Amino acid sequence: MIWTCEQIEARLSDYLDDAMTRNDRVSFEAHVGDCPRCAPLVAHLSKLLTSMHVMEQIEPPPRLIYSILDKTLGKREAVTGWRAFFGWFENISGMRLAYGALSVAGTFAILLSVLGFNFSKPKLADLRPTTIYRNADRQAHLVYAKGTKFVNDLRVVSEIQSRLRQDNDMPTSQEGVVPSREKQPGQTDGSKPTSPRQQNRANDLSHQIEILADELPVWAGHLSIPVFAREMFANSMVARRQP
Amino acid sequence: MEQDAQLVQQCLQGDGSAWEELVRRHSRRIFNICYRFTGNGGEAEDLSQEVFLRVYRTLASYRSAHGGFATWVTSVTRNLLIDHYRRTKRDRMTDSLDDAMPVVENKESAGRRPDQQLLLNELSSQVQTALTKLSPELREAVILRDLQQLEYIEIQRVLSVPEGTVKSRINRGRIELARILQQMGVRPS
Repeated sequence: MIWTCEQIEARLSDYLDDAMTRNDRVSFEAHVGDCPRCAPLVAHLSKLLTSMHVMEQIEPPPRLIYSILDKTLGKREAVTGWRAFFGWFENISGMRLAYGALSVAGTFAILLSVLGFNFSKPKLADLRPTTIYRNADRQAHLVYAKGTKFVNDLRVVSEIQSRLRQDNDMPTSQEGVVPSREKQPGQTDGSKPTSPRQQNRANDLSHQIEILADELPVWAGHLSIPVFAREMFANSMVARRQP
Repeated sequence: MEQDAQLVQQCLQGDGSAWEELVRRHSRRIFNICYRFTGNGGEAEDLSQEVFLRVYRTLASYRSAHGGFATWVTSVTRNLLIDHYRRTKRDRMTDSLDDAMPVVENKESAGRRPDQQLLLNELSSQVQTALTKLSPELREAVILRDLQQLEYIEIQRVLSVPEGTVKSRINRGRIELARILQQMGVRPS
């Protein structure tokens, strides 16, 4: 059976909705395959419907639901009295908000303690801006002074260690190559001159450290450098004697 | 569907949260029908509110035996849209659709490339323009079938016309829409 263009148009939706018998489909496709008028229409509409079926829904404005509810159920009641007063508490009862509030409170506690607020004996005067400023200034200076002292102590120790190292690196060959003499009764052989030399060197180091202490008078009081240096020197001597 | 019927029962017993749930479930669909029919976001919003107000007032007349709640609400919507169309026919002669409030298309679409989505959004707005050029009978038929994807039987209930009329309107509406788009130079890919 040969279909006309009018018949094709009349049955177009049946074809696109797959609501045709097999014979009708064959006749339909036979016409469309040869018809320059129907073929583009069928192809165009087929693509159009495919696109329309996957088109997204348009998002309504968020206020729509509330407008509908206001119009139907009436305006939401304004909360008054004690419910209004404690209403805010319901909002912070959630776990996330509770954690947030705790962390903020913790931060404030740390800040206050740093600024000199005494939690065991709280005073309103501690919360005055001038007091807070004075405490913060004092804390900052203390921290700075402690930091400076620590760095200077490190410098002193490093200086002492470097001087000790210099001393240890001095050549000892003279001690080793002292010619052996024949022992004479009543004379020292002079074969072990190390001890008095080391004593001299210790005295010399002590002298140097005392000079260093004089050069750095600020730290000397804190560290009692000569005593400290002598101890260090004695330790290094003990370490050197060990094989 | 059963859940809707249950929510309606709860509403009739005075449960406000059940009504709120019904509104949340159906407001998006109703807004879309209104927007596709009017082509105007502001009008669609007002009409959607009017639909739900009417549904709320006549909720007691809903009978689940006569079809789903969604079909019933769609039927109320369609009647309101036709009333609105007739009421505003004269105004539309002078007004331009260019004044229509812009509506945000839902951009979230899983599994579609951004360029494809862009083309689809463009086509969606072209289809919208073409739809407003159709007669209201053909327009509502195409919207319900091809944009809301209702079954023929549901459309028959919404429009309260025989099955043959529904099929005929959908068919004519589709062909006319395709021709308008062809005239506009739109080629869906």
